[in-house]
Amino acid sequence: MIAAADVTVCRGDTVAVDGVTLTVEDGEFLVLAGPNGSGKTSLVRTFNGLTEPDSGEVRIDGRPVTENLVAARTAVGMVFQDPRDQIVAATVGADVAFGPENLGLPHDEIDRRVADALAAVGLHGRAEDRVDALSGGERERLAIAGALAMAPAHLVLDEPFTGLDNPSRRAVLDRLHELHAAGTGVVVVTHDLRDVLELADRVAVLADGEVAVEGPPAEAVATLAADADLGVRVPDKWANCGSHS
Amino acid sequence: MGELRLPLLMFAFVPGDSLAHRLDPRGKLLVQIAFAAAAYAHTTPRGLAVLSLLAVGCVRAAGGSVREVAWGYRWAAPFLLTAPLIAGATLGAPWFELDRAFRAGLASYRVLLILLVAGAYVRSTPVRDSRAAVQRTVPGKTGQFLGIGVGLVFRFLPLLRRDLVAAREGMRARGGGALPVRDRMRIVATAGLRRAFARADRLALALNARCLAWNPTLPRLCFRRRDLPVVALAAALLVAAVVPFLRA
Repeated sequence: MIAAADVTVCRGDTVAVDGVTLTVEDGEFLVLAGPNGSGKTSLVRTFNGLTEPDSGEVRIDGRPVTENLVAARTAVGMVFQDPRDQIVAATVGADVAFGPENLGLPHDEIDRRVADALAAVGLHGRAEDRVDALSGGERERLAIAGALAMAPAHLVLDEPFTGLDNPSRRAVLDRLHELHAAGTGVVVVTHDLRDVLELADRVAVLADGEVAVEGPPAEAVATLAADADLGVRVPDKWANCGSHS
Repeated sequence: MGELRLPLLMFAFVPGDSLAHRLDPRGKLLVQIAFAAAAYAHTTPRGLAVLSLLAVGCVRAAGGSVREVAWGYRWAAPFLLTAPLIAGATLGAPWFELDRAFRAGLASYRVLLILLVAGAYVRSTPVRDSRAAVQRTVPGKTGQFLGIGVGLVFRFLPLLRRDLVAAREGMRARGGGALPVRDRMRIVATAGLRRAFARADRLALALNARCLAWNPTLPRLCFRRRDLPVVALAAALLVAAVVPFLRA
């Protein structure tokens, strides 16, 4: 379980995250929504110690993230907004292997994890493909595979649908659905609730660095539909039936 | 005629199944060092002619073409071409000494050959194999430091280059191509520098997220029978490099 307690993150003079307390249960599908600049990315980067909170604390399974950063980054896999920022190798297989190699795993285990991760994102048999020949959707899935190869308990995806066409969005959503069904916790950071609501167990909405709405998708949508100032796009079919469940 | 589309993968590994791709990176590194040493010891028309054949062979063995690799190094051309002119120029009569320019020209050509062989190495060797070769050749912390340095440089340079190209294309897309050269250079350099710092930050974040380690599991490397000729070639080049000094 990820437990953020009273977390505050400052960016210069700006308070990006303002005393947020939020938990993510094991195996849960959480959608973290909010308009641009609401503090979503800053918050999730504290989940595995990529950003250190100015105050407050994040714990994973009861242990402070700062106690063991490698353990935290293994438990919470992160997929950045632009997958090109985290792809570091020239070929698909080498990139997925990068994380497990850094963990010092034996070769057989690395090979197994690479094969499993590629299969999980629908890139089976593409290990020797050049990364620069992949489409945007395939790069997104490769970034997910790179995180999955670390065998994380939670997978955090920051705006995973940015710049993807509909088939690519669908492919990524299908993979997330399968991962969630297999027991991996998923946190999707987004400002657009299309598609992901149907997968979500819970929705939390950040506004000005604070949790403005939190609850099951139907409840959260009802609140969002009534408050356009929160700046989160709600799908029409959900907005038209605030009591959808 | 279409735009020349060669320089995309300068300083980058290109997956393939060429002879060079299948060789152990340690042997290839040894050839690099030996080739450079031989080129410095034999900067004569005859010596460089032999080394030219060898350099072309290395590029072909890596599945590339001389044109492609040379185009990738075009940034070096101004320096290599102007060096003989500057070396030959004199402040007084006869204003230009052909002999000095010729010797500088040979030295420039020598550098080009070394760059070609280096290009063949980079083209045919994954970054992690290079890292493994360095760490297994140089023991201890020094090897780890060199290995991680090699890995970071070869990961960062292609990204940085892509950012510079993006900055240049962004400038051109808004009519910047009509600006004087000085202004274009300033714009690309300023944007490039800014992006380089941002890129370095993002790369550092990504490497942290993926638990970059000083001593990761390195790829399996092993010398095979096909590596023997490579080692023999490196040995021959080293002997050729050392003999002139022994004779002297």
